[in-house]
Amino acid sequence: MRFRNNPLAKEIQPDEPGKSPEERRALDQLFSVTYEELRRLASSVRRSHPGATISPTTMVNEAWVKLAKSPQFASTSRLHFKRIAARAMRQVLVEAARRRNASKRGGGEDVTVITFDESQAQAASCGQDLLALDTALEELARIQPRQAMMVESRFFGGLDITETAALLEVSEATILRDWRAAKAWLAHELRRAT
Amino acid sequence: MDSTRWERIQNLFHEVADLPEPEQRVFLKAACGDDDVLVADVLALVEEDARGGSFLDRDLAEVAHQVLEEATSSALPFKEFGPYRIKKALGEGGMGVVYLAERVDLGSLVAIKLLRDAWLSPARRERFASEQRTLAQLNHPSIARLYDADTLDDGTPWFVMEYVEGVPLTEYCSEHTCSIEERLQLFRAVCEAVQYAHQHAVIHRDLKPSNILVKPDGTIRLLDFGIAKQLESLEAPAGRDQTLTGLRLMTPAYAAPEQVRGERVGIQTDVYSLGVILYELLTGGPPFDLSKLTPGEAEAVIVGQDPEKPSTIAQRSVETNPGILSVGKSAWADLDVLCLSAMHKDRQRRYQSVEALIRDIDHYLKGEPLEARPDSFHYRLGKFVRRNRRAVSAAALVFTVVVGLVIFFTVRLAKARNAALEEAARTQRIQRFMMNLFQGGDESVGPGDSMRVVTLLDRGVQEAQSLNGDPKVQAELYQTLGTIYDQLGKFDQADSLLHSALERRKTLFGPDSTEVAESLVALGQLRSDQAQYDDAEKFTRQGVEMTRRHLPPTHPRLGRALYALGEVLVNEGKYDQGIQVLDQAVQIQSAPGGVPADLAESLTELANAEFYAGHLDVSNSVNLRVLAMDRQLYGERHPNVAEDLINLGAIQSEWGHYTETERYYRQALDIIQNFYGKDHPETASAMTLLGRSLNSQGRFNEAADMLRQSLGIQERVYGEVHPRVASALGELGKVAMQQGKLDEAEADFRRQADIYREVYKGKHYYIGSALANLGGVYMERKQYARAERSFRDALQIYAQTLPANHLNVAIVRVKLGRALIPQRRYADAEAQSLAGYEVLTKQSNAPSNWLENARKDLVEEYGALHEPDKAAKFQAELAEADNTINASNK
Repeated sequence: MRFRNNPLAKEIQPDEPGKSPEERRALDQLFSVTYEELRRLASSVRRSHPGATISPTTMVNEAWVKLAKSPQFASTSRLHFKRIAARAMRQVLVEAARRRNASKRGGGEDVTVITFDESQAQAASCGQDLLALDTALEELARIQPRQAMMVESRFFGGLDITETAALLEVSEATILRDWRAAKAWLAHELRRAT
Repeated sequence: MDSTRWERIQNLFHEVADLPEPEQRVFLKAACGDDDVLVADVLALVEEDARGGSFLDRDLAEVAHQVLEEATSSALPFKEFGPYRIKKALGEGGMGVVYLAERVDLGSLVAIKLLRDAWLSPARRERFASEQRTLAQLNHPSIARLYDADTLDDGTPWFVMEYVEGVPLTEYCSEHTCSIEERLQLFRAVCEAVQYAHQHAVIHRDLKPSNILVKPDGTIRLLDFGIAKQLESLEAPAGRDQTLTGLRLMTPAYAAPEQVRGERVGIQTDVYSLGVILYELLTGGPPFDLSKLTPGEAEAVIVGQDPEKPSTIAQRSVETNPGILSVGKSAWADLDVLCLSAMHKDRQRRYQSVEALIRDIDHYLKGEPLEARPDSFHYRLGKFVRRNRRAVSAAALVFTVVVGLVIFFTVRLAKARNAALEEAARTQRIQRFMMNLFQGGDESVGPGDSMRVVTLLDRGVQEAQSLNGDPKVQAELYQTLGTIYDQLGKFDQADSLLHSALERRKTLFGPDSTEVAESLVALGQLRSDQAQYDDAEKFTRQGVEMTRRHLPPTHPRLGRALYALGEVLVNEGKYDQGIQVLDQAVQIQSAPGGVPADLAESLTELANAEFYAGHLDVSNSVNLRVLAMDRQLYGERHPNVAEDLINLGAIQSEWGHYTETERYYRQALDIIQNFYGKDHPETASAMTLLGRSLNSQGRFNEAADMLRQSLGIQERVYGEVHPRVASALGELGKVAMQQGKLDEAEADFRRQADIYREVYKGKHYYIGSALANLGGVYMERKQYARAERSFRDALQIYAQTLPANHLNVAIVRVKLGRALIPQRRYADAEAQSLAGYEVLTKQSNAPSNWLENARKDLVEEYGALHEPDKAAKFQAELAEADNTINASNK
């Protein structure tokens, strides 16, 4: 399979099993930093400083600044790091959505009343969309791994067209084409799921 | 769906997506025939494409906001927090959320901190738990207290702490338009809290005004030990949490250069942050404006840019800020020194402890001269102490860290000072003492450094003698000066001062007191240095017992006394007992409240004892621990760290791992050279060690080069005629021999012998050793008569300076025999070989190769002398020895 032969497969992948303690530690760091960056991102929305809103791109850059000196990422190129960070963003967000979903449903009868205001309903649907996107991306990875990686890098990691093309070693035109088709397909899958 | 089909769908999608709608259907009908499913699939994509605004078009920030933030604040009140009821959220950081809560049964207000998304990462959980542990450990009126801790059903940990209603330090000062003095008083209170944390081996690492609140009653509270570091957790592999806790989580504006660079942090890191806070208190703004800089630019500023003097800024803002900052010009000069010494870029040149900083604040507030001095002077004094390893240890021992001999003395005094000492008159006296001591002490580095220190000390003794009206201070000074003389190898002066201190203390405090115990221990250490081990052990043991009688079993002084006893035992060669005693010292010193520098010192000695006892593995691991500690305590590039590296190198050398040895020695040399400068005996010593390790690897040219550099330094430092120069020549000569450069070897050994002759007036066995080396060169050249003469000269020197059964005597006799055999003087040869042989067989530690040589020679000699029975006897011994070796090799 193409994905396995890709040099990226040798990088530390968040979901790769059988990791050494050092790799696990590196991932732990990666997740911690990612999480904190995501929190910063999230609270920038809440504070709604229009000018100060952080983009996923700056966020991944910050994560790079924070982790680039750690031994596990020292030999990783910045581009590949962004790719790994995008995967981490996805996993952190999906896991958060999954847990919140579970606690809402499995909260039990003892829980008094949970008032569902509009923002909470919104949040719930957002979480479900995210979970559906995750499932659909897994399906896409099975059919066309390159496209799944592209979506992940662009949506979660904020990579631009040029970076994505360089990462996947294809032309920018191919990325534009793939992006349009994959997005349409994923949108359709999400609609079916929710 | 498989990839082929997906490929097909995509191709069709791209074909039709931009066509008008009717044409799309026509096209697809033609392309897909009756595959209606395919048509539907493509059309579904086309429809989504046209609709737009899918989830993937959303902003990730929005998604993160929804997913991470939703429900936290509104859902929490339904959770059980024991007897606490959440009232509102107070704030949040990267780690967790802090809520204001009410304790239902008591009605009191508390703050609850909760780790959000605890599931995410063990590192985060550990950090949260570590903050909790730290708070539990600290019990100080100015540090927010921990009340309670528990975990929610879903595993989310939380703890309850004191709720502090107050305003950030800087805000409070500007709101209340505090005077400089009021600001310093508040700042001093902050320093005390930080110092307390340091005493409990906790470094805060994130000191900033927003973490320091002033309550309405004017008291301060230190908050947020979220990234505080336990000094004890030193075994953690380097780099583990460095990335996360260096600059990463802390606020760059208050971060020390070493933090920004991701290096190890120590207590001086907090000193730096305190310096920045003081800067802000004095000037109304931070030293650097980092707000518009990228992280990289900010880093460069923190590491490389010198802040403006606080006085300059204050002067500028006089118009805008008239009332607040009006102190005199000379006072401002002191404030500049105070503030900039705290935030010096070089951590070695900062106040080495918060305690030292506090002392200078007090000096300022009382209108006394500061201990810190503008940079150059300050640094120079620091160098005096650093020139001697044990002096450094002693400095560290007394107050964890101080940058100079001046402070060294004062703190020693501070330790002993009783209430009376605080009287102004007395303080002034001591200060005058210090001043006199260091007047004229500004010579630059060069030969005879220690002499200069001694000159200063001599002057100090005269001063101390004139303090007759102050017996306590006098005793304290005698004790201190005596200890330093001991460390400098001036044993006579040390002896008389330590005795005076002991006698005075016996009178002042009674013969059985902690003060007398301290004096006994110091005297014991002196005896140990004088190689009078019976007395050494007696005195230190008495000191230990006396300390035990008067102080609790965990007292740092007992730890120090035990360390001294352990060191004596190790020097005596009683390694097992030494190890036992040092273990006790380590136990005391690693308990909470122990002084880390003391612990490092005891561990160093323990590692040495294990090394001598042959437990190389243990020694290695203890040394590694010490290395980590010293790096933390003193920074990466401190002589203590170099010392540790050398010890580690020695172990590798014992193991025969010469490349490892070389690596350690090179690191050590680099540090030492950087610290002491190129022309310094310490640098030369490190070069010699490195040269030896290169020699062991057979890299003779590099070894010779290194040793020659070392020799050059020693010649410059000590002059051409000095035992250390001779010793370096000996090393060089041996390498030259191995290279086959016999002329060079001859010259080296000749000079070596000449120097020893001159220095020791012909009366030291070293001269014999040099001559024996020289004889070796002639043997190589087959100049047997000259060799004979050298060996006979050596023998003659030995006869005057060594006992007849000394190993050196035996070996040189065997060598002499070897020079006689080729001259066919077998009877003479036999007499020498046999005499050598007889001494060697009686020695347990005789080198086996010389015994073997003696036997071989005797076989040859008796053969030539026609005494076959005797020849056969030694032949048999040779065979037997051979068998034993073979057997032991199996």
